[in-house]
Amino acid sequence: MTASPSPLRPSALALLITAVVTGAFCTVAVVSAEPGSRAVLGWSLGIAAALLSAGAYAVTHSVLRNRVLRERLAALNTQISAQEANAARRSADAVRLDAAQAAERKALIAAHAAELRRAESSRAAALAATANAAGRMQALATGMLADLRDMEHRHADEDVLGDLLHLDHRTAQAGRLADSIAVLTGARSGRRWARPIVMESILRGAMGRIGGYQRVRLHSTSDAAVAGHAAEGVMHALAELLDNAANFSPPTAEVHVYVEEVPAGVIITVEDSGLVMSDVQLRRAEQAVSGRLSDLAGLSGTRLGLAVVGRLARKHGLTVSFRPSARGGTGALMLLPHELVTHVAATPAAAPLAPALDVPQDLLPPESATAESRTPAAAAPPAAIPASASASASASAQAPAPDGEPEATHEPAAEPASGTGTARPAPTVRTSGTSTGTGTSTSTSTSTSSETSGEFPQFGESGLPKRKRGRALAAAHPEGPDAPAAPARATTAASDAAARFSSFRQAVRANSPTPEGNSE
Amino acid sequence: MSRPGRDDSPDRLYTLTGGRSRSGSDAFDLVTLVVTESEPAPGMQSEHAAILRMCRFPTAVVEIAAELGLPVTVVRILLADLHDTGRISARHPRSAHRLPDPDILEQVLVGLRNL
Repeated sequence: MTASPSPLRPSALALLITAVVTGAFCTVAVVSAEPGSRAVLGWSLGIAAALLSAGAYAVTHSVLRNRVLRERLAALNTQISAQEANAARRSADAVRLDAAQAAERKALIAAHAAELRRAESSRAAALAATANAAGRMQALATGMLADLRDMEHRHADEDVLGDLLHLDHRTAQAGRLADSIAVLTGARSGRRWARPIVMESILRGAMGRIGGYQRVRLHSTSDAAVAGHAAEGVMHALAELLDNAANFSPPTAEVHVYVEEVPAGVIITVEDSGLVMSDVQLRRAEQAVSGRLSDLAGLSGTRLGLAVVGRLARKHGLTVSFRPSARGGTGALMLLPHELVTHVAATPAAAPLAPALDVPQDLLPPESATAESRTPAAAAPPAAIPASASASASASAQAPAPDGEPEATHEPAAEPASGTGTARPAPTVRTSGTSTGTGTSTSTSTSTSSETSGEFPQFGESGLPKRKRGRALAAAHPEGPDAPAAPARATTAASDAAARFSSFRQAVRANSPTPEGNSE
Repeated sequence: MSRPGRDDSPDRLYTLTGGRSRSGSDAFDLVTLVVTESEPAPGMQSEHAAILRMCRFPTAVVEIAAELGLPVTVVRILLADLHDTGRISARHPRSAHRLPDPDILEQVLVGLRNL
């Protein structure tokens, strides 16, 4: 038996001790035995001693091994329980960790939600404030434009007028910017026109709002008009397109605007000779003006124009597209749908001329006079009667205000022209018909208030025109420099004199007080 | 016609004149009589066409201004444009410096007193 790990060493020691003890005993026994039986005894004792030693060894070894195994078992048990505890701790940790993470996640989500809500509400507040400010700026600009127009009418001096026009232009541009912001922030649109706006005014209104309006050339013979509710939006969108065209073309190049009527509506084309847009740019521009993107996130700081066009296009159903222009630049096409286009019977400027004096006016009731005066100009014979000058003049004077103020006229009774006029100015023309009956020298004349038959003057028996109610203009110039010209052509009829005499009938504005006077 | 405090037309005046504020000609004063020499052409600025229609018979500048509802200065610019292209002619009233007969004035005075 050799030396071995721990259980073997005590076993070997036990074997050794047993062997020594039994060996010594056997030797003593053998020596003390009789020589005759010494050999047998020796052998048997030797075998017994060996067996004893082996038994001792086996017992010792097994006992020790048992002990070792038990110890190892205990150690293993401890280890296992430690590991179990460890695992339990770990799983507890994991659960705790999970809970912590969940709580953290929840807090994070809540924080994000709060952040989002705050951002949303601050965005809404900022938008509302901007919209409000834009609306006020719009109102200011509109008021300023009206004031400026008023001043332009009051100051005849060319220098003053020039300055006023300059201010007017600047204000119009500022107004457009306010309009743009209002459109983008979703504020209500700026102005509403109570009547359809003819195409020429649309184009000029659009071009007046951009910086380089002097480079814009209009080519329009269309007599179409844009419905009042959409006119402002169309003008604004067109102004943005014009501004783009003017900004992206050389500073001396002209921008041309064409109007074409098609079955689907009216196409307004803006052509510049500036930069040609690449395909990508074209696509991007088309996308911007399509109005599908209602998000403000795509706005760049400096280019609001196309986004504004897109918003307006969606609002009013306009279709805007781009294409390369035959002029070398880019062409922008805007299609106004059918619903927005109306045709006014006669544009204000092309108002029908009165059919001169071929109608016996003294016999005409006012209604028929009105109807007659609205017949197209083509029906008017090339009025050979000189007096028709005043008739046509007053007709077109009436025309520029198609939403017109009803003007009271006297019944065409044959009164002398001398006394029929009222000296009263008509500042509140819409209601003047009922009130201006006073002050006439012939108060028997029935002044009907509602008819608008002021298109051509009535002539009294003296051949002089009778002033209409509220038109005390001739009174301001009873002997205008024009009047003495009549004797020069004294060979003509009295109506000629009347025509020349009436030249100044309209010359003074309706709201300027003029003294009463006789025109005879 | 424009009423104070209201802006009835989207046309700004500078778009009518192309930004000019002076006519550059002295041909027109307030009482100059304007006569059309040609018919309005299609595609013409509507104010020009209106003036041409209005002035088939002699019409004074102030009257044109009043009827178009435009300041006289602006009308003079428009008229100068038309004048330069020969579409209108301008005449000054001949009798601006010829006073009427004193006898007539006297008779008028008497007549007025008798009223």
